[in-house]
Amino acid sequence: MTNTPLLTLERIGKVYGTKVALHDVNFSIYPGEFIALVGMSGGGKSTILRLIAQLEAPTSGNLSYADPDMTTRVMFQNDRLLPWMTNVQNLSFHAADKAQQARAQAMLQTVGLTDFADGYPSALSGGQKQRLALGRALMADPQLLLLDEPLGALDALTRRKMQDSIAQICREQHLTTLLITHDVEEAARMADRVIVVKDGTNVYEADCAKGQDAATIGTVSEQVLDVILTPTTTTTVHS
Amino acid sequence: MDNATDLTQKAHRSHTYNFYQFLPWLIPLALILMWQVAGSLNWLATDLVPTPWAVLQDGVSLWQSGELPKNLGISLYRALMGFALGGSVGFFFGMLNGLSKTARGLFDSTIQMLRNIPHLSLIPVVIILFGIGEAAKISLVTVGVMFPIYINTFHGITSVDPELIEMGQAYGLSKREMLTKIVFPGALPTILVGIRYALGVMWTTLIVAETISSNSGIGYMATNAQEFMDMKTVLLCIVIYALLGKASDLIAKLLEEICLDWQTERSHA
Repeated sequence: MTNTPLLTLERIGKVYGTKVALHDVNFSIYPGEFIALVGMSGGGKSTILRLIAQLEAPTSGNLSYADPDMTTRVMFQNDRLLPWMTNVQNLSFHAADKAQQARAQAMLQTVGLTDFADGYPSALSGGQKQRLALGRALMADPQLLLLDEPLGALDALTRRKMQDSIAQICREQHLTTLLITHDVEEAARMADRVIVVKDGTNVYEADCAKGQDAATIGTVSEQVLDVILTPTTTTTVHS
Repeated sequence: MDNATDLTQKAHRSHTYNFYQFLPWLIPLALILMWQVAGSLNWLATDLVPTPWAVLQDGVSLWQSGELPKNLGISLYRALMGFALGGSVGFFFGMLNGLSKTARGLFDSTIQMLRNIPHLSLIPVVIILFGIGEAAKISLVTVGVMFPIYINTFHGITSVDPELIEMGQAYGLSKREMLTKIVFPGALPTILVGIRYALGVMWTTLIVAETISSNSGIGYMATNAQEFMDMKTVLLCIVIYALLGKASDLIAKLLEEICLDWQTERSHA
């Protein structure tokens, strides 16, 4: 991890009509880092992701990218696969040249779906669809991978397997990743750094990069839950 | 699983498939058979209701004389020309209004107003304007097929899943790629419903147009035969319309199967 941030959010605010969704959001994302944003529903987590993905523009503040042409890719909560394309076509749908098609075949192997190349997404299970959506996001070699509650719709067992699978792929490929989740334990298990977003701003950070053993996960989860459930404070704790 | 069991299961599947292919034809065949038997046993007045066999013989003789191919050809020409013109206009405005808010504001209200005029009520106007020539029949078919294709194209485009469009934006698709990879394929099932419906409207409109104002075509053959109390030809024309309608529907279904094979897989999943 270098000291130059890949992305910095400074005093970011976002207002929809008269509703303030975000105010004074400040944090940086460093190359190779896996960050999780946690918080209750409606707290502003997904709005932050949408601003970073440039799907919307902030109302105030500064969002600065180290590389203005930085490639970001989003994996959404629902897979958003194109039902009229085969699984392998879904992987290379945005650049269907021969090189990408060959890469798509290799990507199917990475996400464990080699046997499903020519089928359609409708025949895949929920977990398989999300693996395919992850593969699609990885196809562009993104400098920043944005995961918007990607496991929210999965059953507990599949969810746990997918957590390990995504975390492993991200670490192996040294991907800079931002995960949005309301599951505190999932955040502590997968991320290097957990940021709590509450009432439209980031109020707490927990560093768990020293190793995600069960004790660390438990400690971080409890600290984060305490912050979410108690009145807003701004603190940084390194566990 | 051993080979013998595999083969037995395949044979069973094949028999089941053949049975379900035959099933839709069972009632029409039974009705024709009953009609033939009733006519042959003189239970029906065959000068008013000729038997299927007599109708078939009439069809063969009209085909050999060249009258049937000539009238069938002209009817097909009118139907296809009207469909191509009306379909193109409907598709163009459906796409345009679906994709552009400005175009929607400008055209949609007027099109919706015109859509509510029954197109067959335009027959007197069309006869006054175009006489009983080709333009009259083709323009009526054009108006008839235009609106179902417009409505379904417009609805298909505007009801594409917005989450897929947002995904396309997040993946940096250009406007052209967005149209060809997300919007058009997403709208295609609804557009094909419009095409299927429009094919039905196409034949209905043509039948009425040819019956009222024509000197050629299947509709004209039927009206002409009615004047001579030639019931065999009248029934033959009705059977031809049924067959043309069925053929159109089969073509539409085939088009759906080719373009929407991903939906077939979903129904098997």
